[in-house]
Amino acid sequence: MIDQLLEHTRGKVDGADALWRREEQTAVAFESGRLKAAGISEETGLNLRVLAGGRMGVAGTTAAEPDVAALVVRARASAGLGEVVDLAFPRPSSQSLPPIPTFFDRTANASLDDLIRIGRLLVERLSRPDCQVNVSVEREVAETAVGNTVGARGEYRGTGIAVSAEVTRIAGDDVLMIFDQYVGADMPGDADLESLVRSIETRLAAALKIVTPPDGALPVIFTPAGLAAVVLPLEQALSGKTVLQGSSPLAGKVGQQLFDERLAIVDDPLTPGRPVSRPIDDECVASRCTSLVDRGLVGRFVYDLETAARAKTESTGNGRRGVFGKPHIGYTNILFRVADGAGMRHPSAPTDALGGGLLDGVRDGLIVDDLIGVGQGNVISGAFSHPVGLAYRVQHGEITGRVKDAAVAGNAYDLLKRIGGFGSDGRWLGSRWSPSLLLEGVSVASR
Amino acid sequence: MKDRLTAAVKKSRAGYTEIRVERTWSSAVAFRGKRLETATVSEDQGGFVRVLNKGCGWGIASFTSLDELPAMVARANELSRAVRLDEPIRLADTPPQTADAVLDLDGDVRGIALSEKKSLLDRYNGAMLAVSDKIVDTQASYRDEVSEVWYVNSEGTSLYQLRPEIVLSGTAIGRRDGNIEKGLESIGLRKGWNSVQNFGAQFRAVGERAVALLDAPRVKGSAYPVILDNELAGVFIHEAFGHLSEADFVYENPQAREMMTLGRKFGKPVLNVGDNGAASGLRGTLPYDDEGTPTQDTPLIKEGILVGRLHSRETAAKLGERPTGNARAISFRHPPIVRMTNTYIAPAKNGVGFADLIRDIKLGVYACGAFGGQTMLENFSFTAAWGHMIRDGQVAEMVKDVVLAGNLFQTLDRIDHIAGDFTWNQMGGGCGKGGQFPLPVTEGAPHVRIEEALIGGDM
Repeated sequence: MIDQLLEHTRGKVDGADALWRREEQTAVAFESGRLKAAGISEETGLNLRVLAGGRMGVAGTTAAEPDVAALVVRARASAGLGEVVDLAFPRPSSQSLPPIPTFFDRTANASLDDLIRIGRLLVERLSRPDCQVNVSVEREVAETAVGNTVGARGEYRGTGIAVSAEVTRIAGDDVLMIFDQYVGADMPGDADLESLVRSIETRLAAALKIVTPPDGALPVIFTPAGLAAVVLPLEQALSGKTVLQGSSPLAGKVGQQLFDERLAIVDDPLTPGRPVSRPIDDECVASRCTSLVDRGLVGRFVYDLETAARAKTESTGNGRRGVFGKPHIGYTNILFRVADGAGMRHPSAPTDALGGGLLDGVRDGLIVDDLIGVGQGNVISGAFSHPVGLAYRVQHGEITGRVKDAAVAGNAYDLLKRIGGFGSDGRWLGSRWSPSLLLEGVSVASR
Repeated sequence: MKDRLTAAVKKSRAGYTEIRVERTWSSAVAFRGKRLETATVSEDQGGFVRVLNKGCGWGIASFTSLDELPAMVARANELSRAVRLDEPIRLADTPPQTADAVLDLDGDVRGIALSEKKSLLDRYNGAMLAVSDKIVDTQASYRDEVSEVWYVNSEGTSLYQLRPEIVLSGTAIGRRDGNIEKGLESIGLRKGWNSVQNFGAQFRAVGERAVALLDAPRVKGSAYPVILDNELAGVFIHEAFGHLSEADFVYENPQAREMMTLGRKFGKPVLNVGDNGAASGLRGTLPYDDEGTPTQDTPLIKEGILVGRLHSRETAAKLGERPTGNARAISFRHPPIVRMTNTYIAPAKNGVGFADLIRDIKLGVYACGAFGGQTMLENFSFTAAWGHMIRDGQVAEMVKDVVLAGNLFQTLDRIDHIAGDFTWNQMGGGCGKGGQFPLPVTEGAPHVRIEEALIGGDM
């Protein structure tokens, strides 16, 4: 399909690239412990970008038998209004693409019954008399092909499976919701499902007792799930797009020590076994690992082809595109690592205990597992202020119960200057891998 | 198309079968700063099949290849039969509907050149950029669509709906040294090209607000009497209360049902709340929902008492209530689930004005506009786009970082005055639930006073 489409652009435009993707999803949903629905979804899409007269245009279609001529006409019309951009498509690589496993037969071949079995197991393990359990299991098989008019091509197949469980407990007007998820390219093993169950059980057990929240500038342990409010500003500020627009507070600070010297963050599309891993990006740029923060220094910003061309740098292989619209910057797998000079390693034995083994030094503080309203407001400034969705009080190194009616506030850039501790509970959460982080001086207010 | 769907439904071996096919024509233009990001025309199309068999669960298939329709009906039937249920799923009765519901296109966007749309947005984007050299970045976007939806089910309902939609949005980033502030506006209408010609002043105001916020102090965190402007009051009622009134939250959950028992007191007698999918010309308006049920005005809170909830056919049957036309899907890629349409706080009848609401407030906060809001059931957080202190009954200096947080039940009960100055606020964006975002909805409210609410900020 890609070859046919690109052939059709010849002589009509100065250059083009395209993405074709076919996705099949199978999903089962358990509502309040009962299997209620099973579904499939199939989608095929084609996205074309052209350069004509130095200007860029895009067009896309979900038609099963796309009219390629019409698509080229639409893309050219789009380019007619577009901005001038000095964009060069990547040439075919002399080396073969990085051989990373993205496709797992076990996942692709899993039957509906296999998916139902996983869901049933979770429902059985998580059922409690006073709780409602919702579980969904979603499997995806995708084929992707990318290509451009200077001869670069890439093709790969991928699988992904997401197993999500949510336990809701309502007592009077107190609503407690605890969610967790396994996401991978390969099917979850018994150990994966077991750790999903334990993760929910641990947080549920610690949440049954409600205690009063503390007040003041306190140490707060952000769990891998709770870290979102701290990570989001960094993700925005490290995007080549916001740097180019002048709205990133990290612009012009590459190489400066802005964070704790043990902090390292990478974007890594080559991590084996992750559903967003890929050998090549959606613009034919071979995948590579990008160091975003290294030993506390601001590393590289991420770029797609267009922003790289405008910033006079190279794409980092972070081009992402859907069926409609033009390619944009997207992160792949974000990994938090501890850099201690002697290479990357973890400080202590792995644990799945709540708090990641960081409780010891905390005299009075919080564990934050979920905040309400993350992503609202002026995110890129780093300032956040959110009521807690799920948080626990820590006193003298022990979890004493769940706190409600509390809010935490701070500035992500300031808090990451000095990290009180890296937990040994590193794990995947969607496409982010991180341990818990102990951050000092977080403003905690009760109401 | 209706005939093709009717034929496929007739061939289905399932007890209940419904098919929805959509074809959406859309165009989009976006600016970032002075630069055009995109100008494109897209066509998206696909189908959705859902079937139900006695003693079994839902079987669902969505697809982009319409030639596969008969195969997909068969596939959905197999999936349904794979889901065995001891307690059957029932659907509340609704009379079969046959109609062609064509909403007014109000200037068919399909007939307007993309270059004209670019010029319009260029003008609005320019209005933000022209405010000050402190505006370092803008995002302006225009999107229109005309979508055709065919719906046929095995109970005799056969519908064709033509729905236009048009959305404009603008964000301005003001910057002075390390200080970065944002202004935001979005406009969403179920209308066409004629309706979006006069928004220059709104876009200029976005730029002015971003610049004004650079000089505004952070609000001091504390409990205050708070006045919500129309926009934030609308977001509040949608997020904090509306989602709890969606019956899929309670229908399988006895504890939740108890919490949301009809007749429970939710507020003072001044509080009246509803959801009206049949209101004329709004973004959340639809003649029929995605199960073919006609939409209606559903009272949810009447004089402070919980009186109703929003239903699909499944939730209505389970609770022994009537479907309200609130089963909606964002596209053929998704099943219909219980959603809001146009949700509102009704104005007070006695004509109370804004001045009456603030007159006796010595120190309070006037929270305006919305950057966003999120609820985790009984807890919520809303970020106002900007705010003003209220001092001695007067609107005083502008403040920023106004985050309103609280407990739903307490906060609803603390609404003590509601003004008569009702407006629908026709925002872009949309509502997200169950992986379906953005669903076009509208919120409406007058100015609303909360006796006391926690405002976050410098603590």
